[in-house]
Amino acid sequence: MENLIFILTASAAGTLSYHISNKFKKGPVFGSSIITLLAGIVLPLLFPETGGKLAAAAACASYAGMAATKLIPTTFEMAFISALSGIMLLIASNAYVGVGGRLGTIAALACLAWMGIRRGFKESDNICMDKLEITKIGVWE
Amino acid sequence: MILDRKKMLVVVCATSAATLTYFLNHNLGLGAIVANGLVGLTAAMLLPASLAGVAYTASFVGMSSAAILPSVHWASIGGAVLSLVVLSTTEVYAGIGGKGGTTAALSTLITKAFIGFLS
Repeated sequence: MENLIFILTASAAGTLSYHISNKFKKGPVFGSSIITLLAGIVLPLLFPETGGKLAAAAACASYAGMAATKLIPTTFEMAFISALSGIMLLIASNAYVGVGGRLGTIAALACLAWMGIRRGFKESDNICMDKLEITKIGVWE
Repeated sequence: MILDRKKMLVVVCATSAATLTYFLNHNLGLGAIVANGLVGLTAAMLLPASLAGVAYTASFVGMSSAAILPSVHWASIGGAVLSLVVLSTTEVYAGIGGKGGTTAALSTLITKAFIGFLS
């Protein structure tokens, strides 16, 4: 349950950051920093035990939310990337602790992972379409 | 690399942002996330977009723990290292969320290697 809240927090924070940055045209730095600041203040007050971890998840996802619409065009994709960054942060919770930029690196990896998945889906669709065309020609002949 | 006025501004912004974030984080005890948010928000409101991006990226360096960067002076050096990395890699992975964090992590690890080399 705790992990689910962690991932949902990340997903919400990344999506909000993306919206403020791109849809409200406030720029990526403002979009991410306002979410990071609010998460850093509000979440430890709301959840005294897990607030620090949740704020880290929100900050990590908000860095992913700085992505440009040219590369990540839809809110759904950003929600998925943010959730993915939360999962990756859970998995890598003991890696490079205390190194500045760790959360941003996880955010970048989540973005790149999603772009790889998306490309894989597109290419598999193309292969399916090719097979379909061959089958159609076969039936026609 | 020739340091013109624009590049000097990048170096100054990065060094200041990393130093300020480290100071807010450790000396004032605000914590890494609040310090990063404060510096980022201030940069977004006061600086032009490109410099705000550099300052926000540099503030990730200031989020480092005292075990990695032991003093505010090392945070300043980390910020300066970051500015050189940023100036060298402007076009790489532009638009990917988290690019700044990756740059900051690289700069922090380079600075940590310097510290290890000198001690």
